[in-house]
Amino acid sequence: MVDSVRTEVIANALRLVTEEMGVAVVRSSFSTMIQESVEASASILDADGQLVMAGMETVPLHSTSLRCGLRSVIEDYPLEGMRPGDVYVMNDPFRGGIHSNDLLVLKPLFIGGAPRLFTGTLVHVADLGGASSGGLPANVTDFFGEGLLLPPVPLYVAGEESTPVFRILAHNSRMPQNLLGDVRALVAGANVGVARLEQLVERFGAATLEEAVAEILARSERLMAAALGRIPPGRYQGSFRIEDDGSGNGREYEVRTTVEARGDRVEVDLAGTSSQATGIINAAYSQAMAAVMFGLRAGVGLTLPFDEGSFRRVTMHLPWGSLVNPRAPAACNGRIVTATAIIEAISAALATADERLAMAASGIVHIYTVGGTDPEGRLWGFLGVEMGGSGARVGLDGPDAVSAAMFGSGRTTTDVEPLETRYPVLFERSSLWPDSGGPGRWRGGVGTETVVRVLEETTVTVRTDRVRLAPPGLAGGRPGRLGGYAVRRANGQVERLPGKAMNVRLAPGDALIMRTTGGGGVGRPSRRSRAAVRADVRDGLVSASAARRDYGLDDPRG
Amino acid sequence: MASGGAGRPWFVGVDIGGTFTDVVLAAQDGDVRVGKVRTTPKDPVAGVVEGLAAVLEAAGVDGSAVGRVAHGTTLATNLVLEARGARIAFATTEGFGDLIRIPRGGGAIAERAETLVSYVQSRPFVDPAMTVEVPERMDARGEPVRELDEAGALRTARRLARLRPEAVAVCLLHSYANDRHEQRLADAWRGLRPEVPIYLSSEISPALREYGRATTTAIAAYVGPAMESYLERLGAGLATVGVRCPVHVMVSSGGVMGLAQVARRAVQTIESGPAAGVVSTQLLASLVGGRDLLSFDMGGTTAKCGLVRDGQAERSYELWVGGPASWSTRQGAALPVRIPVIDLAEVGAGGGSIAWVDDAGALRVGPRSAGADPGPACYGAGGTAPTVTDANVVLGYIDPDRFAGGALRLSTDLAHKAVDSVAEPLSMSTVEAAAAVYEMVTSSMAGAVRMMTVERGLDPRDFVLVSFGGSGPVHVLRIAESFGIGEVVVPAHAGVRSAVGLLGTDLSTDQVQTCLTGSGTNDPGALAATFEQLGRRAAAELGLAEVPAVVATGGEVAGVGCRRMADVRYRGQAHQLVVGVPDGPFDDRMVDRVAAAFFEQYKALYGMGEPGPFEIVHCRLRLERAVPKWTAHPRPVRRRAATTNRHRRAWFEEAGGLVSVPAFDWAALRPGDAFGGPAVVDGADATLVVTPRFEAAVDGWGNVVLSAGGAPGGRGGR
Repeated sequence: MVDSVRTEVIANALRLVTEEMGVAVVRSSFSTMIQESVEASASILDADGQLVMAGMETVPLHSTSLRCGLRSVIEDYPLEGMRPGDVYVMNDPFRGGIHSNDLLVLKPLFIGGAPRLFTGTLVHVADLGGASSGGLPANVTDFFGEGLLLPPVPLYVAGEESTPVFRILAHNSRMPQNLLGDVRALVAGANVGVARLEQLVERFGAATLEEAVAEILARSERLMAAALGRIPPGRYQGSFRIEDDGSGNGREYEVRTTVEARGDRVEVDLAGTSSQATGIINAAYSQAMAAVMFGLRAGVGLTLPFDEGSFRRVTMHLPWGSLVNPRAPAACNGRIVTATAIIEAISAALATADERLAMAASGIVHIYTVGGTDPEGRLWGFLGVEMGGSGARVGLDGPDAVSAAMFGSGRTTTDVEPLETRYPVLFERSSLWPDSGGPGRWRGGVGTETVVRVLEETTVTVRTDRVRLAPPGLAGGRPGRLGGYAVRRANGQVERLPGKAMNVRLAPGDALIMRTTGGGGVGRPSRRSRAAVRADVRDGLVSASAARRDYGLDDPRG
Repeated sequence: MASGGAGRPWFVGVDIGGTFTDVVLAAQDGDVRVGKVRTTPKDPVAGVVEGLAAVLEAAGVDGSAVGRVAHGTTLATNLVLEARGARIAFATTEGFGDLIRIPRGGGAIAERAETLVSYVQSRPFVDPAMTVEVPERMDARGEPVRELDEAGALRTARRLARLRPEAVAVCLLHSYANDRHEQRLADAWRGLRPEVPIYLSSEISPALREYGRATTTAIAAYVGPAMESYLERLGAGLATVGVRCPVHVMVSSGGVMGLAQVARRAVQTIESGPAAGVVSTQLLASLVGGRDLLSFDMGGTTAKCGLVRDGQAERSYELWVGGPASWSTRQGAALPVRIPVIDLAEVGAGGGSIAWVDDAGALRVGPRSAGADPGPACYGAGGTAPTVTDANVVLGYIDPDRFAGGALRLSTDLAHKAVDSVAEPLSMSTVEAAAAVYEMVTSSMAGAVRMMTVERGLDPRDFVLVSFGGSGPVHVLRIAESFGIGEVVVPAHAGVRSAVGLLGTDLSTDQVQTCLTGSGTNDPGALAATFEQLGRRAAAELGLAEVPAVVATGGEVAGVGCRRMADVRYRGQAHQLVVGVPDGPFDDRMVDRVAAAFFEQYKALYGMGEPGPFEIVHCRLRLERAVPKWTAHPRPVRRRAATTNRHRRAWFEEAGGLVSVPAFDWAALRPGDAFGGPAVVDGADATLVVTPRFEAAVDGWGNVVLSAGGAPGGRGGR
């Protein structure tokens, strides 16, 4: 009993280290994205680049990037040459990164004179150049339009700050102070991680710690193997369409997947997927890998641990030069569009195996940036997040305003008070958007409606998908309702914006209107329990007229 | 007035649990008299009065000789957990009616993850049909963008009135910066429905971030009316036995507040009972040589675990309620409540937990509890479901003739019969089934210990485990063994320990105010004024006629202590560190000292912390006022082997099953008495089961100190 307690203590201690790292990054960061939405990821890895532990708040897309990025760091800076106190930074999407503004920071932990474990942190930093402030240029056509491209480089050498690297980073940012603050926050997270791991080594001894790590991964692998066994053996195909790539070329794209279930392991082939996009929606390989893992886990068990053990049971084929494994210099900042399309395509494939493993498609996250120049000439900006509704599953309504297929993390919408305290904006509305959930026996989750008025000259960038092609329902369920963006001018005139629009100018008094797309429903709406429809009407999620029209309920308030 | 107990030498502690109401009476000299009565769920005051009357009578003390009553209660928690709170209406700024339905800010992480995983959304805490949007808007500087005039306030109040609420919660945007609109709405409401209480976010939690402010205010309204009426009845009930002294109620932070003050701040009592338990453990800290303590409190319905490190109970400034386990710093639960709170984990397992066999033929224990009424089957009060207490009777751990000091005679037959109802479908003997129930509930309670230690990366073996509550000492040594914990303390009067802890408390209150105005200046004048304002509020909360001078400088003078804190961040950040403000007037130099403390603390936490532009976001103030209270005095210790001529058969698997073991009388044990397991100790308020691996000794305060012998599981094995 006592020995098993010790293993459990170590597993939980490692999890806690990652959480503490994430908290350190969030609490010390300067980027609104991180501060308010908690998109700070922290992981522990080993010297083989294996993902040992990802924090509970850590987005799988991020921990997978750290996993792939560390391998590139080690390629360029072999382990033998590393010294305690070294810290590496990178963002190159073609070597494990995501896009320019997502910086990866990795720091080795030395045991017995050699680097044995690494701590890694990753956030979306304030600004690193590129065509629009905040790093989400919606309409560029290559990586160079997105911001500074950073191969693995040392940020600290044996504990000494690498001044040239810091100067280059600051020089490439519209908000150098905030950027440097964010970089230091990432380092703070990695430092906290290494310090805590050193305490664990002292407490348990290196050998015990490393044995426990091996056992943790082996246990995850066993759990993953058992969970994959829920998919009936066979080959299943699914696909998902993407409405555009932001470049204005008028093309639609498609992700295709073949899932081959073989009992305790699975092979996922994305052959047939569109070739890489002109615009921003390319998903670098780390992102496609994370999406494949998330899509499978969404089917067989999201509570499974997400670490190297679960990767061992999945083989992937990501065609080179395609949307899901693009060549340089593809633009990648809209990768969330393709990553979520992979998740939906896998879900569609699993639906053909067993409907209970699938979810209807979801409205995706709507990310936007708002920025301007303050009276002293300093640039300001923040990045906001609004959630779409999730697709329903057999037996379960889709969660409202959660975007289940997005990240598998608990990202939240922001409190508006802190934003208004710091920026010249005023939120007029932030509410759920009735009738946006796809009707079905199990209803899709509803999206949100947000109106933000700007008080000074401002530019706005929006970037989403599924505002022209609705997320489909499943098994007779209907698609989620399409959201979208519009600008309401001070004179009351309303102009619709496309789903991917960059540097839209707003004058004082203008407002940005955002509606997020709802999730798809499952099963025929006529089969939904009447009590459930009435409860939705009462709770304001479905209007009385929609209850009549979509659900055939004569007395919605009865 | 609040300290009017002078000259009246007796103190009373009252702790209402799910099953028993504990009343302790003590003189300042340390003599503790104990009363334990069944909780009376329909009117908890009845149990208090009954127990108090009995204790006073037994001690020959007149009610008028009582100088102070200190009280802990789980009423507010139960209202939330059992969804029995008031029918509340919620008023918020137009455009934000879904405020509580859209989780916001960094806090709600785990809940969102949970939603994703389980796909199950809980019912919104505030009924959407009971929400009213208010035609008003303040900006971040506290300037009205859209004025709420009196006519608008009245129209809103009328709309609220049509919903026929039992309480109203109001959270308007930026009301922490300017409360005018909330006050105006409250005025209109009181003119219309003076009998229905209204709770304003600017009074309950005047701090930035609307989501947490709204949920805190909504819960305040939800529990407020029931708590207020309860406290009123409590005062009246005490008067019927002649007790007319100050009544102090424990709040979640571990301090106590006056009855009238706490009635308006009912939300602060949400962890009152559990906090009292941890405070009682804190009293032991100096006795164990500075070791850190795990406080394990098991009553009839729940088990609670808290931490005391460096002599202080761990606190946090946010609590999440309504989820599977109340757990303050982790967000596993449903709604954030922004109050200062003693950090603890709680699981639904206790002496009343019911054992049952599920569809798959597996034995399960809980989460249903027999509660106080009818209680376990062996109480003979009509309950037939087998509970943990019934299993403990079957196993010989509890002596049916000595339970609760013999006040309640238990039926062994009924206990056996009840346990048989699960033994039969499992094809087990009665004793085997009882042992299985015992093992299951013990491991489920160990979960509370696990949450506070293992899951936070702390090794439970580094702590001394302190166990109390009516059922705790029956199970504690098996819990200790499962973690390899080698030292356990079961305090004197373990069964009523939380009530004893209440006797040792001082009055205190915690106040917070956001002082950020967007300008980012750290104007010492404005900060001094904010602290002064907090000081005034705090003094009023403690029932002080005048604002004590110590508020302006911090420190302690004449039994009144003031501690100031500031939430500081680098300009541009969104999260703060809580930094202690040194004692002294708040001038320019004080701002620099606070900054220096912030940089230092930042560096210690994050490994870097260069001086840079910073801002003070919230001011916090804690005011404490010493009151006459009970203190324990040690007796001389004479080491000797304890003896008893009583034996009974009890279940110890490693000793061969049901074996005859010594049964000690707790009341007869003297400081210095020592004995080894297997043994049982029968007390008036609790039973201690000593497993074969442990050696016991009684210390000068009457606490039983237990150490694991050289057998596996003790310290030193790693």
